[in-house]
Amino acid sequence: MGSIFSRILGRLWGDKEVRILILGLDGAGKTTILYRLQVGEVVTTIPTIGFNVETVQYKNIKFQVWDLGGQTSIRPYWRCYYANTDAVIYVVDSVDRDRVSTAKEELMAMLEEEELKDAALLVFANKQDMAGAMTAAEVSDALGLSTLMNRQWSIYKTSAVKGEGLTEGLDWLINIMQK
Amino acid sequence: MIINTYNKTGENAELLADLNSEYRDRRKDAVKRVIANMTVGKDVSSLFPHVVKNMQTEDLEMKKLVYLYLMNYAKSNPDLVILAVNTFVKDTDHVNPLIRALAIRTMGCIRVDKILDHLCEPLRKCLEDDDPYVRKTAAICVAKLWDLDQERALENGFVTILQGLVSDSNPMVVANAVTALAEMQESSETKDIFVVNVAIMNKMLAALNECTEWGQIAILTSLAEYRPLDSKEAESICERVMPRLQHANGSVVLSAIKVLMILLRYINNDEFVKGLIRKMSPPLVTLLSSAPEVQYVSLRNINLILQKRPDILQNDVRVFFCKYNDPPYVKREKLEIIIKLCNDKNIEQILSELKEYASEVDVDFVRKAVRAIGRCAIKIDEASERCVNVLLDLINTKVNYVVQEAIIVIKDIFRKYPKRYEAIIPTLCQNLDSLDEPEAKGSLIWIIGEYAERIDNADELIENFLETFLEENSRVQLQLLTATVKLFLKKPSQSEEIVHRVLQTATEEIDNPDTRDRAFVYWRLLSTNPQAAKAVVLSEKPPISVETNTVSPALMDELINNISTLASVYHKPPTAFMGNKAYSADAVKKAAAAE
Repeated sequence: MGSIFSRILGRLWGDKEVRILILGLDGAGKTTILYRLQVGEVVTTIPTIGFNVETVQYKNIKFQVWDLGGQTSIRPYWRCYYANTDAVIYVVDSVDRDRVSTAKEELMAMLEEEELKDAALLVFANKQDMAGAMTAAEVSDALGLSTLMNRQWSIYKTSAVKGEGLTEGLDWLINIMQK
Repeated sequence: MIINTYNKTGENAELLADLNSEYRDRRKDAVKRVIANMTVGKDVSSLFPHVVKNMQTEDLEMKKLVYLYLMNYAKSNPDLVILAVNTFVKDTDHVNPLIRALAIRTMGCIRVDKILDHLCEPLRKCLEDDDPYVRKTAAICVAKLWDLDQERALENGFVTILQGLVSDSNPMVVANAVTALAEMQESSETKDIFVVNVAIMNKMLAALNECTEWGQIAILTSLAEYRPLDSKEAESICERVMPRLQHANGSVVLSAIKVLMILLRYINNDEFVKGLIRKMSPPLVTLLSSAPEVQYVSLRNINLILQKRPDILQNDVRVFFCKYNDPPYVKREKLEIIIKLCNDKNIEQILSELKEYASEVDVDFVRKAVRAIGRCAIKIDEASERCVNVLLDLINTKVNYVVQEAIIVIKDIFRKYPKRYEAIIPTLCQNLDSLDEPEAKGSLIWIIGEYAERIDNADELIENFLETFLEENSRVQLQLLTATVKLFLKKPSQSEEIVHRVLQTATEEIDNPDTRDRAFVYWRLLSTNPQAAKAVVLSEKPPISVETNTVSPALMDELINNISTLASVYHKPPTAFMGNKAYSADAVKKAAAAE
C-alpha cells in the first residue's frame, strides 16, 4: 500500500521540479538569498557570471531555484531561462534608490514575455538590515507593482544576511501554487 | 532538401523542449541526443544556452557531456559562453579533484577571448591545487592560455608558476610542465621561457623514470636541448637516460637514442663511446619487430644514425633482411640499410640474400635489389668479383627487367674498376635485343664505345643501334653519338663511313639542340684536330664512388637533433616543410574554409 501511495505522490511532486527564477540587478543579493534558502547560511559570494542552480527543499516541496547573474552584459540572456518557469523571485536592493528605476524597466520588460505569463511574481525588497532602506510599500510604488494586471504578485521585505522575510515569501509562493 | 531542413528544425525544437524539461532523466536524455547529433555533424549550435543550463549538476556523466558540447560550440557562440563561467568557477572549487581538473581542462579548451578574464583566477587556484592530477591538467592549460594571449599569461605570473612546477614533487606534473614550457618556448619571441640549465636538467632526470611514456618523451625531448659542460657530465646524463632504451614504446626509445646521439658529441672517452654504441644496437633491432609503419620510421632513423655512426649495428645485418610480406616501403628502406652495413665480412651473406630478392615478383623491388648488388660491388673492392658473378648469373636468367637493370649497374662497375671485367662484355652483348629502356640501352652503348678496341664486332653492334637512331630517346642518341666517335678514334679504318653518317644525321635531322650541338662539336673537333679529339673524347674519367651518405654533415647534425620527428623521416630540416605555423590546426581549418 505504502509503495502505491508514494508512487502516486511521486507522480504529483517527486521527480517534477518546481522551477523558480531569482532575478534582479547586480549586487541585489540574489546569490546570497539562494544559498540562504539552500544551506541556511550566509556564504561569501562573488559576482555571478552566468548562473547558479540549486535544488531547495522547503516544506516537502522541491524547488529548482535558478539564480541568474545581474550584470548588464548577462541580462539579455535571462530570456533563455524563462521556459517552464513557475515563479519569479525579483530581488531589489532597497538601499540603491538610484537604480530602482532601472530595476523597474527590467522587471516590466521581463513580465511582458509570453513564456512568463502564468508565472507568479514574488518581490523581495532586500537589504532591510541596512540603514536608509526603502520600505516594502516604497519599493512597490517605485516598481509600479500596483499597475500589474492578470498577475499574482506579492512583495516582502527581507534581509538575506539575517535570514528575515525569506520563508514568509516562500510560504506565499507555495500557497499560490497549490491552489 | 526542404524536407531535410524541416526535419532538422523539428528535431532541434523537440530537443529544446526536452532540455528545459522538469524531469531530470528527460534532460539527460536530451543532452545525450544533442551530443549524438553533434558527433554525426548536425548543427546543434542553436541549443547552446539550453545545453549550458544543464551544466550545473552533480551527475558527472551529464557534466562531461555538457563540457564536450561546450568545447565544440563555444567558438560559434562566443557571447553566450559567459553563461558557463560561473559554473566553471564553481567546478574548479569542487571537492572532487576529477571535476576540478575537468573544469580547468575544458575552460582551457574553449579558446574564446571573452572568457580569458574569468579563466585566470580559477587557473591560478588549480596550478596550486593539492591534487597532482589537477596541477598537471592546469599546467597544460597555461600553454593554451599562452597561445591565445602571451601578455596575459606573463602578467598573471602563470609562466613563473609553471616554471616552478618543474620542481614539483609529482613526476607527472613535472612532465606536463615541461611539455607546456617547451611548447611555449617555441612560440615565444624572447626564447627565455624555458632554458634547460643544470638545475632543471636534474629535476627532469629525477622525474624521467616515474612518469608515463608521453611524459618521458616530453622530458627526453627537452633534455636533448641541454648542452653539457664537459665529457664527465655528458657521461653521467647518458647513464641515467640509458634505461629508457628498454622501454616498450618506440617513441620513448627513439627519443632516448636522440639524447644519447647528441650527448655523444661531447664525450671524449672512447671506451665509453664504444660501450654506449654497443648498447644502442639492441633497442634499435627491437624496433623492427613492431608494425610496418613504426618499422619504417625506425628504419629512416636508423639510416640517419648509421650515417653518423657507421660502427653501430655492425653485426646485425641479418635483421634487416626483407621478409616476403614486408610492405614495399619497408623493403626499400631495408635495402638501403643493408648496403650501408655491408662489409667484406658479411658480403657473402648479403649477396646471396640480394640474389634471392632479384627473383621476386615485385619488379620495382627486384630492380632495387639488382642495383644494390652493384652498389655493394662499388663499395667493397674485394667483393666486386663476386658481385659481378652474381650479376652475370642474373643476366643469364634472361628476365627482361633484370637484365636491363644488371647492365645499368655493370656500367657503373666498369667505371669504378676500369679494364678489370672486360671478359664479360660478350655476355652483355648477347642481350642487345632485349633492351628497350633508354637507360639500359645507353649503358650498353657506353660500354661498347668505351671498350670498342676489345670488341671485334663493335662496328656491327653500333650499326645495329643506328638503324633506329632517329626514333631513340635523346639520352640514347647522345650515347650513340659519343660511342660512334670513340669507335672511330679507336678503329678509324672500320668506321669512317659510320661516323660520317651519324654526324650528318644528327646535325641535319635532329631538332634536339643537345644532340645536334654535340654532333657539331664532335664534327669540328674531328675535322680540325683529330689528336685533340682523342684527348677530349678518350680522356681518363675519374672513378666513381657510390654515395651511401646522402646527408651533408651540417644537415646531419640538425637531423640528429630531430631524431624521432618527421624531420628524421623526411631527412629534411623542419624548416623545409614546416611553414611558420602554416600547418597548425587553425591554419589548416582556415585553408579548408577558404576553399
